[in-house]
Amino acid sequence: MGSIEIDPKELSRFTEVSGSYVDKEGNPVSVPIEVEVKAPNEFRVKLPRGVDPREVVGRKFTIIFNHITPLPIGGYTERRYLAYRCEIRSEGGELIATPYRRYGWDEGKIPFFQYCELTVNNAKKYLKRRGLELGSTFRPKLGAINTFIRITRLPFLLASVISVLAGASVAFYQGYFDALIFALTMIGIASAHIALNMINDYFDTKLGADVMNVAPTPFSGGSRSLIYGLVTTGRLTLLIAVFSGITLGIGAYLAVLRGVFQISSLVALGFFLIYFYTAPPIKLAYRGLGELAVALGFGPVIVIGSYFVQTQQFALEPVLVSIPVGLLIMLILYVNEIPDSPYDAAAHKRTLVVRLRRETVMSMYRLMLATTYGLIVAYALTGIAPLTVLLALLTVPYAARVYRGVKVTYNQTYNMIPYLGGNINLTIGTGAILAFGYLIARPLEILLGVPLTL
Amino acid sequence: MPHFKEQTELMDEVEEVMRQSLVCILTFTNEKGEPVSHPMLPLYDKELKRLYFTSSVLFSKKLEDIKRNGNVSVLFQGRSFVKAEKYHAVTLKGSARVEDEEFSERWMRLLPLWREKEPYIDAYLKRRVALPLFWERAVIEITPREYVVWVDGDLSRPPVTIRVS
Repeated sequence: MGSIEIDPKELSRFTEVSGSYVDKEGNPVSVPIEVEVKAPNEFRVKLPRGVDPREVVGRKFTIIFNHITPLPIGGYTERRYLAYRCEIRSEGGELIATPYRRYGWDEGKIPFFQYCELTVNNAKKYLKRRGLELGSTFRPKLGAINTFIRITRLPFLLASVISVLAGASVAFYQGYFDALIFALTMIGIASAHIALNMINDYFDTKLGADVMNVAPTPFSGGSRSLIYGLVTTGRLTLLIAVFSGITLGIGAYLAVLRGVFQISSLVALGFFLIYFYTAPPIKLAYRGLGELAVALGFGPVIVIGSYFVQTQQFALEPVLVSIPVGLLIMLILYVNEIPDSPYDAAAHKRTLVVRLRRETVMSMYRLMLATTYGLIVAYALTGIAPLTVLLALLTVPYAARVYRGVKVTYNQTYNMIPYLGGNINLTIGTGAILAFGYLIARPLEILLGVPLTL
Repeated sequence: MPHFKEQTELMDEVEEVMRQSLVCILTFTNEKGEPVSHPMLPLYDKELKRLYFTSSVLFSKKLEDIKRNGNVSVLFQGRSFVKAEKYHAVTLKGSARVEDEEFSERWMRLLPLWREKEPYIDAYLKRRVALPLFWERAVIEITPREYVVWVDGDLSRPPVTIRVS
């Protein structure tokens, strides 16, 4: 058995050291010890009084260095431990331990969440084995609501809400609004978004992108519902069918009510983007086209569709408004791809972020934010949109903060989490204010008696 | 020995050390018979006179090792890790039993003991959805057989051995 090198500098980061061995009766024993590094691959071990050195000589001996930093409020942080499996011998009255293997964990090097993620397969195997032994099936129990939220990635539905709201708000500004149609549109699009999230999870798990990702965050790395065993493939497929069915049902109803060809075309295009976003053979997201698909889907398809079902006409204004909306929603995906990028690359999911250099990724982010705000200003100044949409510029300082945060924490997955959340707040907030700008414009014009367009 | 105490008094202090320790070293044997050690959060129940650990299924290897051989040892060591007034270094030798017939709720009976050590644990538990498998946990129950106590943590003096009847 080959020995391994000891790094004394590394050991200085630990507070306590102990030794473990199996006594002659076969019982494991752990005792406090003192150690010194005698040579690059040897420890000098001093046992405490009461432990006979003859008990340990010639046996396997584990030396474990341990540290935590207790917190004043209770609990602790900075957990780390390092264990060396050693052969131990007596030499000139001293005990000399030669390590041949080491194991351990340092929270500073592998964050806790990642440490947990690395062992998911062990957990699944263990639960499966216990299930077979006990004639039962073990799955993490989160409760029906939490499981549903996790499987569907429900909070991300805000993106759909903003897109529908944007299209309907433009219609509202032009004097068209049917509450029932609006509600049906919202439910139909939300169901489509849920189906999209689940299809995405199914294929990203099957194609390996989510499986390889050992540093997921609340915003990236997928729902992991299949990976954690929260749902079976069969049940996930059923849920996809149910939510797709809801969308198709509502789509068919709206098509009959408002225009068969127009609505059917938009629904067909929407489903093409939803399914082939990750599904083979097209796999848009794996070819650097996922971002465009999201911008197109959440921009023109939903915004124009939501406008059309209210007005039964196509017009330039919703098309123009759909561009900043699509860009904003696309930016959610784009920034969330940053922490995923090493794992996406390993799974040949060649997203834009995977394809571009870090500097280019950030330049594009800046450019897309600037384009979004620039378009909003241009629409207001050229009389395309009411001046109230300029309220969306209120988020510019926040955008600058989020941008800086993303830039500084690039390649630091867990430090980036607040900025991933910030980017979602920014894009959803800006989209919401843009829609709000349209919603308040008409009542304000009536109230003030002047048009709010230049 | 001048520092030798009545065993009952010492045993009370040992129990306090176990109750107030933030971390301990659990040692068991693997399938090759080698000693394997891991730092763990000890949960000592003074009424039942049992030491408990909860172990996530994410770190289930130890559960299988302990089920194979229930003889374990637990070391309480490190003055800064023990909030008790009196500090002793303690090696507990005992028998472990793994409860892994259910993983979602049974371990939660130990939450009051856990909360004493990590008051913020409820906040994490509320966000169970973030780490579903981490909160699927087995319980390791240890019945102490013997304590070896280095009084005041002084390793240069012979330890006191307390056998549990």
